[in-house]
Amino acid sequence: MAPIWTDVRAVLPSTASEFPLQFSEKIELSVLKVLELARDQLYSEADGPASAERAQLIIDYSWEKLNTGTWRDVDKDWRRVYSYGCLFKVLSLCHGYPSQYNIQEAIKTCDMSLLMGAAIMDNILQRLVGVIRNKMKMKSPNKAHRSEEPCSKKMKLDCVSEPVINPAQAVPRIHCPSLERFRSDFLDPQKPVIIEGITDHWPAFAEHPWSIDYLRTVAGCRTVPIEVGSKYTDEEWSQKLITVNDFIDRYIIGTAEVGVGYLAQHQLFDQVPELKGDIRIPDYCCLGEGDEDDITINAWFGPGGTVSPLHQDPQQNFLAQVVGRKYIRLYSPDETKNLYPHQTQLLHNTSQVEVENADLEKFPDFSKASYQECVLQPRDVLFIPQQHWHYVRSLELSFSVSFWWS
Amino acid sequence: MNWFGFGFDGFGQIRPADVSGQVLCKVNTPVLISDVCRSNCRVRVRASWSSRADVHHADCCSGVCVSGFASGSSEEVGRGILPQSQGCTDALISERYLTLNFTDRVECWEIQYPQHKLVWKREQDNTGHAAALPLVSGGYIMPKPPFFRPLCSKLCALSLALGSEHAVLLTSDGTVYSWGSGSHGQLGHGALTSQEEPQVLEALWGVPIRAVSAGNWHSASVSAGGDLYMWGWNESGQLGLPSRGLEEEKRRGKSSGNTEQPVNEDGKKEADVFISIQAFPALVDVPNVFEISRISCGSRHTAAVSGTGDLYTWGWGHYGQLGHGTENSRDEPTLVDYFPSHRMCVKDVICGLWNTFVSAVPKEQPPS
Repeated sequence: MAPIWTDVRAVLPSTASEFPLQFSEKIELSVLKVLELARDQLYSEADGPASAERAQLIIDYSWEKLNTGTWRDVDKDWRRVYSYGCLFKVLSLCHGYPSQYNIQEAIKTCDMSLLMGAAIMDNILQRLVGVIRNKMKMKSPNKAHRSEEPCSKKMKLDCVSEPVINPAQAVPRIHCPSLERFRSDFLDPQKPVIIEGITDHWPAFAEHPWSIDYLRTVAGCRTVPIEVGSKYTDEEWSQKLITVNDFIDRYIIGTAEVGVGYLAQHQLFDQVPELKGDIRIPDYCCLGEGDEDDITINAWFGPGGTVSPLHQDPQQNFLAQVVGRKYIRLYSPDETKNLYPHQTQLLHNTSQVEVENADLEKFPDFSKASYQECVLQPRDVLFIPQQHWHYVRSLELSFSVSFWWS
Repeated sequence: MNWFGFGFDGFGQIRPADVSGQVLCKVNTPVLISDVCRSNCRVRVRASWSSRADVHHADCCSGVCVSGFASGSSEEVGRGILPQSQGCTDALISERYLTLNFTDRVECWEIQYPQHKLVWKREQDNTGHAAALPLVSGGYIMPKPPFFRPLCSKLCALSLALGSEHAVLLTSDGTVYSWGSGSHGQLGHGALTSQEEPQVLEALWGVPIRAVSAGNWHSASVSAGGDLYMWGWNESGQLGLPSRGLEEEKRRGKSSGNTEQPVNEDGKKEADVFISIQAFPALVDVPNVFEISRISCGSRHTAAVSGTGDLYTWGWGHYGQLGHGTENSRDEPTLVDYFPSHRMCVKDVICGLWNTFVSAVPKEQPPS
């Protein structure tokens, strides 16, 4: 078996001249010099290592730029510089005979560039993570065989309240509607509906049924952003970056002391292409105006008890349930005046009301607001019209996939 | 007066490159800066990420010499006073520009090779003006075009500190103003909103302040009584408040130094309350210190000189910029042992982005 360095080095261009370092003048000459020294070192010797120090320098300096100003304002070239720093760091970690720890660090570094950087050299870091991951899988076969269920202690805490759906307020269900039927009865009038029978062909239900085991195999060593805290409106709410394995160990299977953790609103399928192959974009998205490339696909993976507070999104949404069940309540945009949205710019799309524990003294009109509700089951797809208020609570271990389209 | 430096040295701005041209990146204990002019002239050190500028102010030599990236390749002859800086009264160096202040004008030179290029100039009457750069008559100089920004003259500006995206101003009556981005609490007004115009720091109203400093996302001020107030981002402990990130760093065993948990006098561990963003000024306690005389902020670290001549540092330390001999970050003000060990009395401190420069005199000398 070839050492990992051989495979990694093979992904790099063969000459320094094919390794471009082109940036706008926003990138200062001093850091450009460090980038050039790092690249030149790679090609100066036949099997040259990359300097870990130089790589970290580039990462640290560009990290400060990435945290300056709003994310939207960050110059794309600084994100590219950050990716180059990650690339050099990955190369230094994989050189020689790297330890398991170094290989995991290399994967994490690839992930950091995918999360925070911008694509460079034909998305080389996405290709590299594939190469390195294969090496990791071969070295640790045990993890794949361990069969795991969320521990019983955790499950007892999860099943706090099993909601009873009032039939008069239930979201209607429909089985495989035609495109025309969906458009005329639900999309045009902007009415929520649960569509059944359109995901049975997904590999996530057929060839590779999604489970904790499967997720560990496909993405266990990958670093993802996790939300910690019961909901994003809490003061204690924070985000951290940990591997999927650690997330499962600590927040799915682990004890309750660490609090609630939620892999929420993350474009996991861009990061882990293998998972993207397990899902399909619902056909009804073609009724929208945008391209398929403009559809945002997010993963939502967490234990029972995760809560998304009542909020609205600017696009149409298909929420596909793959594993577990979720309680969902929907309010039409007409009810907005009864839902007490936050007054701040940051949270104006979020209600101040705790839907399942409403303070009616503080928010008296909330009881006037009419709503629909459902328990979303595996294989269901819920259509949430644009700007429709929605509240979501997982009833058990859950994995959902959302498709935001226009 | 000797200058010492520690921290990031990737461009030889602390120790000039040795013969082989290889420069070690980090200096984690203070070293004497060998190439600072040692004549009787007073020298003020200024630093950016990659460079250092020494501002000489004496009869023998009046001007700026630069080291690090700004001084060009190591083949260049000498590190003497830059010709264009002859007679300047003050200078600031940023990654792209060298700003030179003269009595009759202020100039910005773009740092490039083979020669720096004058890109901007403004005539002024600076003769009566006592304040240091970036303040000039009528306003201040930013390290990027359009360079000059006016300041309302009613403000009576005394000292101005520029962070990466905010500004902290001290006026002659001891009032602090701030403006710019507030996303990390660095304005100190209690919210995370940004301000376009100078806004009074209400929380410090009534406390006469005599010094201000700004890092990339944090701010510091010292009161007339020598108390230190800080606000902004505490992600590496740069505010001297408990930082969650450092907690996790210790747990991961990254510390190569002391791994004991700090305990308070009762012998109990400190409460698990971590501060990520401090949006209002917080009083920072520096152990065994009654008054702070100088304060300076790097991008994510802070350095303070006590009234009795000791240097304390805290915050991000991965490049040795805290000077404790390690690459650990600290969320508590910690004495830089080098100076008392060598019987030196610290006079002043200036931080570059990732390094720290200290002027000190032997303790035997009477303080000048």
